[in-house]
Amino acid sequence: MAFGIAGLRLWWLGRLIRAGGPAPGRTKGAWRRLGAELVEVVGQRKLLRRWQSGIPHALTFWGFAVLLFTIIETYGDVLYQQRFAIPGIGHAAALGFVEDLFSLLVLAAIGVFTVIRLVDSPSRRDRKSRFYGSHIGVAWLALLFIALVVITLLGYRAAQVNTGDFPYGAWAFASHGLAHLLQPLGHGANAALETALLLANVAIIMAFLVLLVYSKHLHILLAPVNIAFSRRPRALGPLQAPQNPTGAGRIEQLSWKQLLDLATCTECGRCQAVCPAWNSDEPLSPKLLVMSLRDHLFASAPLLIGEGRPPAGANGDRPRTAPLVPDVIEPDVVWSCTTCGACVEQCPVDIEHVDTIVDLRRKLVDEGRMQAGLQEALQKITRQGNSFGKSERARARWTRDLGFPVKDARKEPVRYLWFVGDFASFDERVQQLSRTLAQLLHDAGVDFGLLYDSERNAGNDVRRAGEEGLFEMLVEQNMTALGQASFGAIFTTDPHSFNTLRNEYPDHGLDKRVLHYSQLLDELLASSAIAVDSLGARVTYHDPCYLARYNRLTKAPRQVLAALGCDLVEMPRHGVNTFCCGAGGGRIWMEDSAAGERPSESRIREAAALGVDLFVVACPKDFVMYSDAVKTTGHDDRLRVVDLVQLVEQAARRPTPGARASTTPPVSRSSAGPAPDP
Amino acid sequence: MSNDVLVLAEHQGGALCTVTFELAGRARELADAWGGQVQVALLGASNLAGQLGSADVVFTAEHPALADYNPEAYERVLLSIVHARTPRLVLLSTATAGLDLSAALSVGWDAPVVSSVVGLSAEGEGALATAQIYGGKLLAEVELAGSRAVCAVIAGSFPAAAGRRDRPPAVEAIDAAAVLDGLRTSVTGVVTAEAGDVDITAADVLVSVGRGIGSRDDLEVAEELADALGAPLAGSRPLTDQGWLPKSRQVGKSGVTVKPKLYLALGISGAPEHVEGMRDAELVIACNTDAKAPIFDVAHYGTTVDLFDLVPELVKRLKP
Amino acid sequence: MKVIVPVKQVPDVVEDLELTADGTDVDREFLKFVVNEFDEQALEEALCIKESSGAAVVVVGLDEPDVDQALYGALAKGADRAVKLVGTGEGWLPGHRRSAILAAWLAGEGYDLVLTGVQAADDLDGQLATLLGARLGLPHISVVVRVDAEGSAARVRQELAGGTVVEEAVALPAVIGVQAARQAPRYVSISRIRQAQQSGAVEEVPAATADGATGFRLRRLLAPERTSHAEMLRGGPGEVAERIVELIRAKGLIPG
Repeated sequence: MAFGIAGLRLWWLGRLIRAGGPAPGRTKGAWRRLGAELVEVVGQRKLLRRWQSGIPHALTFWGFAVLLFTIIETYGDVLYQQRFAIPGIGHAAALGFVEDLFSLLVLAAIGVFTVIRLVDSPSRRDRKSRFYGSHIGVAWLALLFIALVVITLLGYRAAQVNTGDFPYGAWAFASHGLAHLLQPLGHGANAALETALLLANVAIIMAFLVLLVYSKHLHILLAPVNIAFSRRPRALGPLQAPQNPTGAGRIEQLSWKQLLDLATCTECGRCQAVCPAWNSDEPLSPKLLVMSLRDHLFASAPLLIGEGRPPAGANGDRPRTAPLVPDVIEPDVVWSCTTCGACVEQCPVDIEHVDTIVDLRRKLVDEGRMQAGLQEALQKITRQGNSFGKSERARARWTRDLGFPVKDARKEPVRYLWFVGDFASFDERVQQLSRTLAQLLHDAGVDFGLLYDSERNAGNDVRRAGEEGLFEMLVEQNMTALGQASFGAIFTTDPHSFNTLRNEYPDHGLDKRVLHYSQLLDELLASSAIAVDSLGARVTYHDPCYLARYNRLTKAPRQVLAALGCDLVEMPRHGVNTFCCGAGGGRIWMEDSAAGERPSESRIREAAALGVDLFVVACPKDFVMYSDAVKTTGHDDRLRVVDLVQLVEQAARRPTPGARASTTPPVSRSSAGPAPDP
Repeated sequence: MSNDVLVLAEHQGGALCTVTFELAGRARELADAWGGQVQVALLGASNLAGQLGSADVVFTAEHPALADYNPEAYERVLLSIVHARTPRLVLLSTATAGLDLSAALSVGWDAPVVSSVVGLSAEGEGALATAQIYGGKLLAEVELAGSRAVCAVIAGSFPAAAGRRDRPPAVEAIDAAAVLDGLRTSVTGVVTAEAGDVDITAADVLVSVGRGIGSRDDLEVAEELADALGAPLAGSRPLTDQGWLPKSRQVGKSGVTVKPKLYLALGISGAPEHVEGMRDAELVIACNTDAKAPIFDVAHYGTTVDLFDLVPELVKRLKP
Repeated sequence: MKVIVPVKQVPDVVEDLELTADGTDVDREFLKFVVNEFDEQALEEALCIKESSGAAVVVVGLDEPDVDQALYGALAKGADRAVKLVGTGEGWLPGHRRSAILAAWLAGEGYDLVLTGVQAADDLDGQLATLLGARLGLPHISVVVRVDAEGSAARVRQELAGGTVVEEAVALPAVIGVQAARQAPRYVSISRIRQAQQSGAVEEVPAATADGATGFRLRRLLAPERTSHAEMLRGGPGEVAERIVELIRAKGLIPG
């Protein structure tokens, strides 16, 4: 009967998920997906990142894989014959040992989980607990069930030892050990215990199966499925042209993969714990977003699939599912996201939260429902091609104060095309950094040029704010300009531009190598094209989200710092675990509504605790955000925010008059296609 | 055709607007050059006629339809006056009445009209008008050589003192009843601005913010400074439009005109509509990161230091 | 209820404006043009009227740079028709001539309300709303912040100085110069504008040859003298703050 209930439920879920829209590209690369299954599911890779809960979970997972054998044996005992043996495996002594060992490990793991849930409970820690908003009752029930499964298992095995029915020898130490305790009860009692506990074990497993398919514990079955269809090489990656250009206004307009995401959520809250919005008291929690959508999906099932569908009304209109925003999700929740990707990176079951948020935004943009600040920024970008609303002809004005002319890549061939980006072109503070970099490159003899007034905003954050049409327009304009220019490779000062140029523009015909300027500096320092003296400063480095998490580019900037003789002290949240400055996803254009500490301020505090002098950044928006944060947190006398390029300039030895470094950096990789992860 | 200059007097809340005296003053100069009279049309509020001593004659008109400002009523009466008196030049301001009437006069009277005038002088038989276009980025020099013209003048372009004279002018009452028959426009109510908490026109010191403040949250920064100076916070139109400040705090053409002893302009660019409202402040200190911002043309002292860096430093020194 | 919204393209004031050789116009070759911001307000108010009382909204423009984007944008926002009057030549068009061209086209259209921006950055010889109203012999009201149309009359709110607002009733048809719509102009996504463009729904109509001379002679345009009156204070925030506090103290305005 339990199988029947569970089976029906799974079938219902399957139909519900298939009611979603198409999701192309999710079945390509079968071998890669198989590999992902092995690493992420069997290997529990993402879970083990947080070892406190990762190790117990891994033990529980592997434990149940092993105990699956015992479950089959149990069924065999009940349905077929006593001492049922799995064909081909039989009753090998090693199996008995392993079964007992993992039983105990699972019990220990349950113990650890219990402690974790008591310590990190929302009733004690409120929003700071990752379980805030999760279904706590169901979670405790699941722990109880698992514990009972193991206890009844060991119990009846012990009784079996005493009645002589136990097929395994002394290697099954726990069963034999427990048997000693039960022996005084006598043969009759043990026989009764054996039957009772065996049936209890089966009953509990069956009950658990039903509980499983009706709760978040379904992740046991769905996680491997979700991971099989997740984006490769990793869940966090480039966006694609949407199937539904106007975005997802109703639940059925999400793709089946997105609906599968919703059903798979385990409510673990790891995403919530690392979200910069949640941490600054904004209303967005990736976990709560997914849970709300999931609950709405299930509640909408009667409208989406089969029997429960209400009949068509008199005029042929079917009642429709509710509009997602604002009926299910508040607009502020959708707009709070910085698209930093920390949630996707942490999620053990590869849920792609960012994709769904962007689809919700696409709908809001289509309906013109957005904050004034964002609207203004998008209008400026539409009119002038940059978020500052300045004339395009002013784009290269920052080059005027340089002592040398910068080449126009549209008019003469250059080795490197420098795609500068909005902030580095128009923000006065960042223009200084651009000039510094230009001077360094010039002195090192690097051949580079600009697109001048043909350059437009690359569109990374425009796309992530949901204005797909504007993104396409920008891509067209930029590709036209790039088509007119002749160059070997592109480098950019801005990680957001870097991300879209490298990962999304190839779909539109860009076939040149794209570098971040830290990579270029790294090459120049490595080849001594720029000669430096050691700075010997104590620094910490902030990984930009779009370099570290989206593109795994963490080594080049650190190699630069090492070459400059800096003593690098890492912040706890570094590399792919970097903590967002709060500017991405269009947030820098929107108004700050949160009462809590801004993400940039939290980050400065994290750095200040390290006792370093310099906070090194490699992104124009980071430079602006952290320069402000260091003032508003009152750390400006102790901590200085510097860009990588400023350190290189400080360390660079003055060239002797008349001599110029003549080495141009060697091209070590092919210039076609995206570069492999550095 | 005469050599007279006709000024439309503007009044609100029972008082003549300063611009009326500015126009009268310039009218006097032109009329003297051409050998004509200065005439003022005062519609409704004829009790104010005695203040227009710099005019040779004040035409007054009273009628129920003129009790409040009514664009159609004003247009009809004004047209009847110009048709009857055939002045050489009619002067209005660029406030609401000017926007309603100057171009209409041009069509109805078949005369050229120049908008946004900031300079006006006699040139032989005619006049040369200098007008602002593109928000003041450019000026246009326009020759008015014909026998009639209309100019809409930006308030503050001419000195008001030249238009004040302490002698009673001749007053001529006009019968407007005939032209005001069959009006299609009527006034159904007048709403004066919410008597705000503070009357910024009475303050000695004003801390005024513009778009450079960035976001509503950052107003706090300016508020601290305002508190430290014991002054109210004021702002330019974009801020009141967005609701960050009540309308009663708006300085400028469609807000209030202020003449404080000290006007601190933070992050204000100095668009003409704003400058109109504060140019007569005794001491104007402006803070704007753009060295070319027009506010520095009316400020006495200026700085390009970022207001977010400057204001905390000011507060530090002002608080005991 | 039919509402007509004339729109005009003006140079984006963010640009540097350079003069032509003879100095009588702005050099338009590399300029970017945008819809007059007050015309955007007028369109928004018209769309609000449509939403609250089901009026039809017709947008009309002349053949000016980048006007197609504006017209398709208006259609994407919800306007029912968009008309482009062609054959009007290039360069700055005096308000008198513009109003004559529009009046000729309006004569062939029925309408209840004409809403247009109260003014534009390049107005030199009067504002369109007033010129149109006078030319058509219709009542006209400018500096309006709200229009409610009902049958044969409209109720409008007109702004005077100092925040005073006059509520007026006006018989239709009438011409209104809009200062601000009742809500900020709505955003329309590029996708929707492109969809509208693909529909190719802008009607092209030859413009009437119209005189409407300004009656004056434009001698020249010139850049204003930047006589910066302000004494610029030098130094960092601390030093400048010191100086400013000194100035305030000298005027006896430090409280306490």
